Amino acid sequence: MTSTLDDPLQSPQDSDSEQSIAVPKRRHGKSPLASVANLPYRRSNASLSTLFASTTSLPSSQNNTASPSESQVGTPTAGTVNGSVFSPAGSTLRSPSPAAHPAQLGANTETRDLILRAYSPHVSLLASQDTEELIRHKGINGGLLEILRPFGERVQGKVTIRDSSGVSRSWEDYGIRFTGVKDGLESPRAADRQSIDSVGSGKRNGQRSSMLEYKPARLRSGGDVPQIEDLVERHLTFAEEQSGPIEADYLNHKDTESRESNAPSPFYLLYLRRLLSGLPMVPSETLSHPVATVIAISSRSANPIEELRNLFHSSNQGEHRLPQWVHNEFLRYYVLVHDEDYDDITTSMNLFDQMKRHFGLHCHLLRLRSTQCVPSDDGAIKLPHCEWTSAAEELAEIVRRETSEDDEDSTPCIFDSDANAIRAFVREMVTQSIVPSMERASATWNDQVASRRRGLSGRFMSLSKRFTTFGGRNTSVPALAGGGSNYDSLQGFYRPDAPEAIMRKLADYGMMLRDYKLAHSTYEILCQDFKNDKAWRYYAGANEMAAYLETAYYSYLSRVGAPYNALRTLVLGAELLKMRIGSALDDAARWSSRLLEDRVVGPVGHVLLMERIAACFTERKGIATGLTEGERKRKAGFWNMLATEAWLRTEKTSQAERCLREAEQLYRLEEQGVEFDGMHRSLRALQEAVKANRNGPQHFDGADLLGDDLELQTQTVETLQDPLQQDFGGPRSPLRAAFGHGHRKSLSAAIAPMQPPPIQTEFGDPLGVVPSAYQGGLDLNSAVSQHGVDVPAASPIVERKTPREDGFE
Amino acid sequence: MSYYFTIIGTRDNPLFELDFGTSKVGGDGVARFREEAKYMNQFIVHAALDVVEEVQWTNKEMYLKRIDSFQNNHVHCFLTGGNVKFMLLMNPDPTATTYSAYPTSQPSRPSTARQSTTLLAASPNSQATEEAVRAFMLEVYENWVKCIMNPFYQVNQVVTSPVFRNRVATAAKKYL
Repeated sequence: MTSTLDDPLQSPQDSDSEQSIAVPKRRHGKSPLASVANLPYRRSNASLSTLFASTTSLPSSQNNTASPSESQVGTPTAGTVNGSVFSPAGSTLRSPSPAAHPAQLGANTETRDLILRAYSPHVSLLASQDTEELIRHKGINGGLLEILRPFGERVQGKVTIRDSSGVSRSWEDYGIRFTGVKDGLESPRAADRQSIDSVGSGKRNGQRSSMLEYKPARLRSGGDVPQIEDLVERHLTFAEEQSGPIEADYLNHKDTESRESNAPSPFYLLYLRRLLSGLPMVPSETLSHPVATVIAISSRSANPIEELRNLFHSSNQGEHRLPQWVHNEFLRYYVLVHDEDYDDITTSMNLFDQMKRHFGLHCHLLRLRSTQCVPSDDGAIKLPHCEWTSAAEELAEIVRRETSEDDEDSTPCIFDSDANAIRAFVREMVTQSIVPSMERASATWNDQVASRRRGLSGRFMSLSKRFTTFGGRNTSVPALAGGGSNYDSLQGFYRPDAPEAIMRKLADYGMMLRDYKLAHSTYEILCQDFKNDKAWRYYAGANEMAAYLETAYYSYLSRVGAPYNALRTLVLGAELLKMRIGSALDDAARWSSRLLEDRVVGPVGHVLLMERIAACFTERKGIATGLTEGERKRKAGFWNMLATEAWLRTEKTSQAERCLREAEQLYRLEEQGVEFDGMHRSLRALQEAVKANRNGPQHFDGADLLGDDLELQTQTVETLQDPLQQDFGGPRSPLRAAFGHGHRKSLSAAIAPMQPPPIQTEFGDPLGVVPSAYQGGLDLNSAVSQHGVDVPAASPIVERKTPREDGFE
Repeated sequence: MSYYFTIIGTRDNPLFELDFGTSKVGGDGVARFREEAKYMNQFIVHAALDVVEEVQWTNKEMYLKRIDSFQNNHVHCFLTGGNVKFMLLMNPDPTATTYSAYPTSQPSRPSTARQSTTLLAASPNSQATEEAVRAFMLEVYENWVKCIMNPFYQVNQVVTSPVFRNRVATAAKKYL
């Protein structure tokens, strides 16, 4: 079981260190108790909790690496837990130019910004051997890519882009994605790797740089739904464990934070982001094709110009040449990395002048220090986390940190001067080279290719193109190369210089430059073209981008069998519909439930989507103030109830509690109750089940292995487990309040204000008070299952292993 | 093929509930809902009230046809002049309904398609289904009017009359 289970995750390590491979096996291979015994250890692992910081919400005030002005970390520990760049609070910080969308401020902006930023230009990195070595000396094992990546995700300052009609617009949140040269080409699954390996093994010998690569490019490609599921599941599990009583003060944050009720859950946002991270590189869409390549050499190189020439050459013909369906005429940007500590700046300046003469404007001298930075150094900052890592990559990182003996946060540090240099470099490259060259390219293509197809004459052209080839084109045989079509149906792609391919590229550039009018009109033309050529994958892609959901979904699912793309289409479509409010909310809910019915998502996505449907219905307003007609409160309550059940089934009690609270409010359970007795009973049963599971059922069996405090708490849970049936007073009964406050402060944001404040003191001795109050009573488990709620309350340990055994890892 | 029929009063309160199965094509008239359906059916029908409230203003008829669905449950509604709703939930194959659980097997589309020629609920929008449900609803309505004409009946009171129950069951046997 273990070997297959860990396979996809081994590969980051087999290029890293042999030892760590064995460790996760040990962890998963042992009895369930082993993982329980791990819990306290993992809880204190600071390095791990940074990784999960995106979903365990932390207050914005501590978000100190997010803005450059505050980025100085004086003491080594200050940034360990709190230094997440992407806590939810952090992402509101960077919402784009709020003045531009005054109407849409609110809960919506979070998902909208996410979608907006998902389509960023990809810039591949090709660095010479000595450059990578220089960066590794700094303690950054991933080389140039790892140090540049976080800074590319958000370009400092505003970026101004001219659209096709000549109007300029500035964006605060513009970013690019740095990728490896071959990222996105291989599937992130190990199973699929065999074939690629056998092809690539010969190549590998001559390719020392990829052997030395810290993480293989394979990991950086996304598009694998099970891995996304698995990742979000880990985040959820971590959040469950974190919300135990030990970290109660840490969770106080949630109380004070008072999230808006319709703000999407951080786990859903994570799901969405991972869905859009590491877009695989395929012929049918050029969104992940590089718009530029950074060719980097260092001042250590003995023969720098020769080195540059070689790298340039290899990106055109050699080992770094992308497949033939990738348009190869993209920008090359040349970077000289200067070693501040050891090399002479005048030599580098001379070299840089020489480069400028050779290559023109697209050059940059990046001055970095080469000594390793430790947190205690003056002006040391943590290397920020990447937001847009693929699921496989993050999973690998989680496993690495879980198994590492080192309890410290292992995020490398860099000097502040380095960070500033990189920011300046990224900004200069984006504003002076990448964006202008993309604008130029799209203007050219628009002029030469696309504009011919617009307007009346364009229509005729497509007609004539269709009918000139011997009279009738409706032959059932797909046209082979020639026959009036540019589509190579044998190999399944258009050559990159075909008008269709160029127009797709134009439209994608439109997306990346946020010129959505241009993009949409081009996608629309493409839909027709691809249909005529029966290029189904292209057709589905164009329909996806033009938001013809039905056609895109059907084509992806039935014609080309690409469930990931189908999922992406509908999830994005539903999100975009949801932003339009009104009757579009119904459509959003309908598309989401279609995803559920067709089983395009995994178990985690299933529940998250249920929540999302509930949110859609909650948001639906009545036709007029005061009238309930047009509201969807009952439906919202229903979906929240379903989500509660599903969360309980997967043992995510805090999530279940959140949904249940929504449902209670929507059904107004406490004020007037529900008239249907079956509904009423089942809602009560859910309340009980949530209450019983609240302390985290995962602590049960491992009591004897754990420390004293945990044992104490375990007993409390066990005694509480049975008799809660008696406590039918609902959430306002004092004992529940006491219980809730003593153990799980975070959970009752809505209920908390009603509770009496000095509860901590009342609840001084859990073993003394609680058992006497709850003596005797029914077994909750059986009571719950009477109503058909299949909540595995008592023996969850066995259950919770199952998601890990499905081979997603 | 199972049905759940309920009459809902003006405060979203159930006045009458009945489970039954089809009596056509060799059915024995017994509902075969899953265990969860005992409350899930109520939830589904209750959620459909949102749609009823919206559709009633756009439709002049008392019979509102199929108004909502959840998984393979379909809800038809008949709205009386007194704002009492007759809701009929039909489910062609209760074993295929997963409710909140993650479906572990692919939805068995082909198998339901095979039965579809004979079963009403397999094609809930078809003319035949709508006609059958309309006839059923009208018959129930007639009995309902007779029932509430009882001088001791008050608005929103639960109907316990075994006679009424029998008549609904007979109508179900006749049409569904």
